[in-house]
Amino acid sequence: MKKFIGLYVPAATLIGYVFLFAPLVVLVVYAFNAGRTTVVWEGFSLAWFAEALGDRGLRAGLKVSVIVAVAAAALATAIGTSAALAVVKRPFAGKNLFSTLMIAPLVLPEIVLAVGLLVATVWTGIPLGYGTLIAGHVLVSIPFSFLIVRAAASGLDPRLDEAAADLGANGKQAFLRVTLPLLAPAILSAFLLCAVISFDNFVISTFVSGVGTTPLPIQIYATLKTGLTPKINALGAMLIAVNVLVIMVVMGRYLRTMRKPS
Amino acid sequence: MIAARRGNLLTLALLAPSLLSAILLLVIPILIVIAFSFAEQDTYGGAKFGFTLASYQELFQAIYLPIFLNSLQLAAVSTLVCLLVGYPIAYFIALRAGRYAGLLLALLLIPFWIDFIVRMSAWMVLLGRNGTMNSALVGLGFIEQPVRMIGTYPAVLVGMLYAFLPTTVLPIHAALNGLDKRLLEAADDLGATPLQSFWRVTFPLSLPGVMAAILFVFVPAMGVYAIPVLLGGGKSIILGNLIVQLFLDFRNMPLGAAVSVVLLAISSVIIVGYMRVLRSVEEARA
Repeated sequence: MKKFIGLYVPAATLIGYVFLFAPLVVLVVYAFNAGRTTVVWEGFSLAWFAEALGDRGLRAGLKVSVIVAVAAAALATAIGTSAALAVVKRPFAGKNLFSTLMIAPLVLPEIVLAVGLLVATVWTGIPLGYGTLIAGHVLVSIPFSFLIVRAAASGLDPRLDEAAADLGANGKQAFLRVTLPLLAPAILSAFLLCAVISFDNFVISTFVSGVGTTPLPIQIYATLKTGLTPKINALGAMLIAVNVLVIMVVMGRYLRTMRKPS
Repeated sequence: MIAARRGNLLTLALLAPSLLSAILLLVIPILIVIAFSFAEQDTYGGAKFGFTLASYQELFQAIYLPIFLNSLQLAAVSTLVCLLVGYPIAYFIALRAGRYAGLLLALLLIPFWIDFIVRMSAWMVLLGRNGTMNSALVGLGFIEQPVRMIGTYPAVLVGMLYAFLPTTVLPIHAALNGLDKRLLEAADDLGATPLQSFWRVTFPLSLPGVMAAILFVFVPAMGVYAIPVLLGGGKSIILGNLIVQLFLDFRNMPLGAAVSVVLLAISSVIIVGYMRVLRSVEEARA
């Protein structure tokens, strides 16, 4: 019995990690397969990458996704950062309620948020398009930028502000020359994560994308329903590469700060 | 005095963008959804404002009951599967992995950040009739013919587990990581077997993490819709599909709004319940 438990935990962990990574490895490997199927290996080829990059629908979707991700991430980061600074640095009534409101989109079912946005556009007559996509992605990204910057800001030593004041800096100078530079890496991480969240978003986009502004995940979804070709593998491999790059930038920073002796 | 007023203005300026976006994008839309759920459907696929319970009456008829039960069941089974797989992983990272803990956590986050639709297409590649899994099983002689995997309930559960496993592991790991290791030594000294010390020390102390994991899996799982459509063939209708169909295919907004309100109500009850239990646990410990 004891032996069984001793083995169960590491075995479950191993199986769990194989489960997490095997599908991604298979996806990427078959992106380089010369054949039409994802079964038989027929030699190395980059043809599917060329095909994915040449697909007009996917390219249009990519353009929409990039524009929306950059705009939504910039807005969500600015909004989340100001909210985080207010919570950490300023006294005000109802702080807990405010924080709950900021994190709410993370906990509520996303489909309800999407329905809310769609119904609001119907009610106000706002046309679906870039504006509604960006607004929806901002909504689901704010919790992340808020939480990341709040964590970084509450880790700052409050004596830094006092020191800046003692040295004759006014509030604005202290903020621009002390607080902001110290928060810059966290703000950059927040921006990158918000951009990834927007780029990956599926549920909100299903409801509020308009004609001609279909983002990439919805284009991929339409392609998946009609049938699988290694074109999707090639596209997936490229997206995985971009995502992993972003993760390495963000996590590399955290790993460095973790190693730093405090 | 002036300084205080300027300070208040600054606070207001910092709060304004987030409050404005929360009110415009979250609070008002949800209020409109509630209003729509009491509206009448007009013949053009829009909604005529008024106060009628017609949508709710339609919703509580027998044909919609199985959809609610399907969703609750899928959410419950998915949560259970995630806990059974996720708990040992969190336990291993927190208590056994030693210096590899950081690496394992980082690896866990990679699939979490990879495009959702890409992760799902990876499973479609694996589980398809001519997919990698089928050809491997046929090649190894375990089965003679490729079997249908996409479109089955286990395939949906695999997709759910894949989507929610990191979300399950992280809060449980956080709870186990904060565990005072001396408690386990004390249990050992007092003659507890490893199994006893797990059930009577480790597991109870990890419960706040388990509860957070249940919240983070169960609530989104009730509203999920892409996974059952892609991996389950969309055969068993659940709340997520129903909402999408009512809004985007059938243009029955009042009924769709009513389904959304019910989903929101169920989620809110679970979230508030979770916060209550968490507070009482914290008070009991303090």
